[in-house]
Amino acid sequence: MSVIVCRPEQVTRPYYVEDLGVNIYSSQEFCYAIYHHPMLFMDKFRDQDIIDFIRDQLGMGFVAARMEQRVKSGEKSEEVMFLFMQECDYYTAAEMNRFRQTVTSLKKLPPLEYAKKKTDYLVEFKQYGRAIADYQAILEAAGEKKDDFLACLVWNNLGACYARIFQFQKAMDAYDKAYGKKKDLDILEKMYHLTLLDSGLELKERYQSLMSPELKEKWDKDFEEAGAKAEESAQLKKLKDLFQKDSVKRGEGAAKLVEEWKQEFRSMA
Amino acid sequence: MDGLILGLDLCDAYTQVVCGQGDKSWTLPTVVCKKKTEDLWLVGEAAYASALAGDGVIVDKLVKLVKKDGTATIGGVKYGGMQLLSRFLMQVLELARKEYGTDHVERLVITAAKVDQRLLACLFKCREYLGVAEGNMSVISHTESFMYYVLSQKREVWNNQIGMFDLSPDSLCYYEMKVLRGMRRTTVLAEREELEESFSLDILKTPAGARLADRILCSCGSRLLQKKAFSSIFLTGKGFEEQEWAKEFMKLVCARRRVFVESALFALGAAYRAADLTREKTGYPYVCICEGRLDSSVTMKVLHKDQENQLVLAEAGESWHEAGKEVELILDKQDYLEFIITAMDPKKKKAVRLVLEGFPKRAEKTLRVLLKIGFLDERTMTVMVRDQGFGDFFPSTGASIRQEVMI
Repeated sequence: MSVIVCRPEQVTRPYYVEDLGVNIYSSQEFCYAIYHHPMLFMDKFRDQDIIDFIRDQLGMGFVAARMEQRVKSGEKSEEVMFLFMQECDYYTAAEMNRFRQTVTSLKKLPPLEYAKKKTDYLVEFKQYGRAIADYQAILEAAGEKKDDFLACLVWNNLGACYARIFQFQKAMDAYDKAYGKKKDLDILEKMYHLTLLDSGLELKERYQSLMSPELKEKWDKDFEEAGAKAEESAQLKKLKDLFQKDSVKRGEGAAKLVEEWKQEFRSMA
Repeated sequence: MDGLILGLDLCDAYTQVVCGQGDKSWTLPTVVCKKKTEDLWLVGEAAYASALAGDGVIVDKLVKLVKKDGTATIGGVKYGGMQLLSRFLMQVLELARKEYGTDHVERLVITAAKVDQRLLACLFKCREYLGVAEGNMSVISHTESFMYYVLSQKREVWNNQIGMFDLSPDSLCYYEMKVLRGMRRTTVLAEREELEESFSLDILKTPAGARLADRILCSCGSRLLQKKAFSSIFLTGKGFEEQEWAKEFMKLVCARRRVFVESALFALGAAYRAADLTREKTGYPYVCICEGRLDSSVTMKVLHKDQENQLVLAEAGESWHEAGKEVELILDKQDYLEFIITAMDPKKKKAVRLVLEGFPKRAEKTLRVLLKIGFLDERTMTVMVRDQGFGDFFPSTGASIRQEVMI
């Protein structure tokens, strides 16, 4: 239990973290974002725009100068990041040690696995367009290395990305490739669910023969349950509430909601 | 002189103004009068003269009027206490402005017997009307003024305890000051006691009344000065302008002590303070604790570079109306703020916990709050805590708490 005094910071131009879709207004928020999403920042701390933000907006000129010095001397991006976090005094020494270990273990991952983990982060934050491009690059490299296990995982994730942006045919093709790398029933289930979402899609015959009536029944049930759960979602409730309001409020609310959806879709794609 | 450095003692009966280090002073009754036939305002003796001549309407006890938020109706027009006081003060300052041929007030320190929030707010509202720049005006209590006056005298005058009797038309007060050496910083303590034995100065006009007054003062003196070592005793107030009537009392106070009589002591103390405020480095490097100043420090434990530190929110010796702090804090795994209140006697240290009820439960280290500390008087601290949110991650819920804490 403790209390931390915040540095007075007058941020007029926040630092926008595209992947998280958030603006950073203080050194504490910056540290928090880094600590919880190291993959998004650990390779970026040699970038001048981050150093400029730290110097000009956070008012940490001395720290920014030291960071620049380290960048010039060829120090790794994550080391520059640690320096910034230590100077902010937001996390304790123990917390920083734990964080260093996390970053080190991430850095020790093989390059393709590291790239996949980084791309998974984009998916987590609904950046599907960028994730698709990155997954495709990984698949190319994985193909060269003939790493089927990794390729299966990436094709699977790629399928999920396409499905999220309603490109069901492409999603089906991706899952098909994933299943080709590893015969996994979970992938088959996803393909089957795609056919339920899009009546224009059909499962290949070889897959249909793999589905027992019990399995099909179970997957149908899962699909129905997911639909029922979606009916109860907060977003849908918000929408229902909106349509119960008078026409003026409904119109205003609907316009706002559509704008939100548009923005969300733009950032996804 | 670049601008006027003024000390102004504002009392219900009389107001005294001292310029610089006592180069020039004025004393005038605290009254304001409006001519019946024209929009002309008079103050002091001229106001009395106009009222006696029957061509003006007079209003007195202006300080009391302000404190009770009262009004006065003159010629069918209702005037608020602040309006009348500002008209009075304007003309008082005009005396100094005319004398020194400058309108610029470099520093004005007003002193009053008891400075409460209402009087303080009124005086600061008057500031602009008086043509005094923001930040160039301060308000202190008589006790504080007494302290500055004494500390401006030679050191031997305030080696030990110092006592003072103030006999004014409004009251009889006893002041006592002592210097505590050997502490981290030399501390000066001053107190004021309003004596119940006060009497009207009118009784001094008759021999019997004067004898009675002398006896009253003797009894107060014996009670207050006994068994104490005083470096000096000061006498001030209209009642001590003449001391002939108080032969026995003078004998009592003069016994093995130095006695000084200074009728404009509070105004002078205020002027010394005004001059000090114009200097880069204070001439009074002491912790001054008296009426109008905090007698306890308020701190809070905070974590800095993995070490537990004390964040000073208010320090003993600060003026209560100037003390206060605004700081943003991040609470880590705790839903309360704890204030540590340390009086002069460290044994009297106490902790006051303010539980942040209604504040959101958030992820670790993301509850950022704005803490605002202020004071209503020497003993009452106001605490305001507001959820500031944590940027785009956790927008503010608007939750807030306001509480008064007795220190």
